[in-house]
Amino acid sequence: MEGFTCNLKIYRVKKGLTQGELADIVGVRRETIMRLEKAQYNPSLKLAVDISRAVEAPIEEIFVFD
Amino acid sequence: MDTEMKPASKFPRWLRLVMGGAACAALTGAAVWYDLTYNGGRLVYPMHSYAFRTTDIPMLVAVALDVLYALYLAFLLIRGIRAQKEHVMKTGRTRRLSPKFGFLGFCGFLGFAGFWIYGALGDLSGFVFFAFFGFFGFFFEGKMSNTLMDERFKENAARAERKALRIGFGIIFILLLFAGQAGRLTAELVAPILVTGIALTVALTIFLSEYLLYRYDHDDAAALEDE
Repeated sequence: MEGFTCNLKIYRVKKGLTQGELADIVGVRRETIMRLEKAQYNPSLKLAVDISRAVEAPIEEIFVFD
Repeated sequence: MDTEMKPASKFPRWLRLVMGGAACAALTGAAVWYDLTYNGGRLVYPMHSYAFRTTDIPMLVAVALDVLYALYLAFLLIRGIRAQKEHVMKTGRTRRLSPKFGFLGFCGFLGFAGFWIYGALGDLSGFVFFAFFGFFGFFFEGKMSNTLMDERFKENAARAERKALRIGFGIIFILLLFAGQAGRLTAELVAPILVTGIALTVALTIFLSEYLLYRYDHDDAAALEDE
């Protein structure tokens, strides 16, 4: 899997959302958010955009590719 | 408006079904006994042409009830499958299934009856029951029952299926290479080997696709394998 750094946790906490709440907003499971935060899952463009909108942060700052 | 509630049955539905099946089996057993004792066993032993006799009635009634019971089971099965499909379409979640269905995998041992059937009748179809070992996969499907099928789940499902099929086709290829040595093996030996091998491979493929999906979905190390 292509290496990347995921800063989602920082922006999610800043927005005051739990993993479960964010998962509900973007329509995925909490486990998926957990894997995303550990940079163990490479999301689709749609999911990345949905997350970016949910936490109100630029997509390229949430997912930083090496 | 009719507000009268239907009284709940004393027994759960599955128990009523089992009791119905047991009653049908008992009735058929009694009909066979009657036929052997009072009807010369003419409906038990093979016959060339049939002409109705009143003494046939117990057996005919028993068989009719067996057919009705089987049709009812088929109806319940189709209705259940349709309801599950609707549930999947409506909620985007996996079908609801108890892991206990995994015990159906033990039906795979029926495949061993294939050796007896093949020896006695020369029929290979008994070996196909080995494919029922695949039902062991229900243990893992049941664990993921009613799970939201998000993009990661769908991706893992496709990955698991791909890997299971790759392994399955690999085994079938090796099996065919082995069967290609038929010059040294007799056709009577190659046919059951092929049918048994393919049935077991089907079982393995069905099982692996569920098992691997469960591992990819729950096990961090497995999820990162092959990516």
